[in-house]
Amino acid sequence: MMEIHTEPVTGYTVLACAGRLTMQYASRLREAVDAAVGSGTPNVVVDLSGTSFVDSSGLGALVAGLRVARTAGGDLRIAAPTEQVSSVLSLTNLDRVLTPHPSVEEAARGW
Amino acid sequence: MAGDLRLSGFAVPEGIEALHDLLERVGSEHPDLAALDLSMFETAVIEIANNVVEHGLPPGEVRWSFAVEVRPDRVVGVLTDDGQALPEGRPVADAEMPDVLAEDGRGLPLAHAVLDELDYTRDGRTNVWTMVRRRS
Repeated sequence: MMEIHTEPVTGYTVLACAGRLTMQYASRLREAVDAAVGSGTPNVVVDLSGTSFVDSSGLGALVAGLRVARTAGGDLRIAAPTEQVSSVLSLTNLDRVLTPHPSVEEAARGW
Repeated sequence: MAGDLRLSGFAVPEGIEALHDLLERVGSEHPDLAALDLSMFETAVIEIANNVVEHGLPPGEVRWSFAVEVRPDRVVGVLTDDGQALPEGRPVADAEMPDVLAEDGRGLPLAHAVLDELDYTRDGRTNVWTMVRRRS
């Protein structure tokens, strides 16, 4: 299971993903990013502190979200990935474009 | 495999959840197995299983079984399914990681990256994926 909690903050939106970000649920993250960016806030922090596992579909959803946010003139940043998520980001070289930040607050610095 | 954990069923999304649950049991029953070794092994199992769910033919009717064994030096998993054989020439061994901004194509390269051995064979009417991660 995975649940996404959307929290609009001044200047950005936090999307907290709790559970496994996998093939069955990756589309939910895509939709949540689309909704956040569509609401006029193109800066998004994906809080991964509650994400126990990510697969390649989940990674694809993060990349898709990054593109959507950047196309709208904003950015997508990730916060507090767990060990499996950090390892997978590194092994796929995605940490080059999705730099893990230790917390939501630090990810959103400057926004 | 002796002393292992196994399951069987249909290659459908609910089956993926069952695999996660089985691997969680592996962790409970083998507390000496490093968490990272188990989570990286799980990463590979789920990628290969996703592949079967997505591309297995006929869709929703492919049956699979999975067995995992924790040995002193390695974790070994075998996923078998009765779907169609992989197309001839489909690269299994040399899958390269795609560009960082690609939205797909990472499944097999990721499985390779976290395993020490990944082998695919066609045994009669069955696909057999053997996955090995050496323990750190």
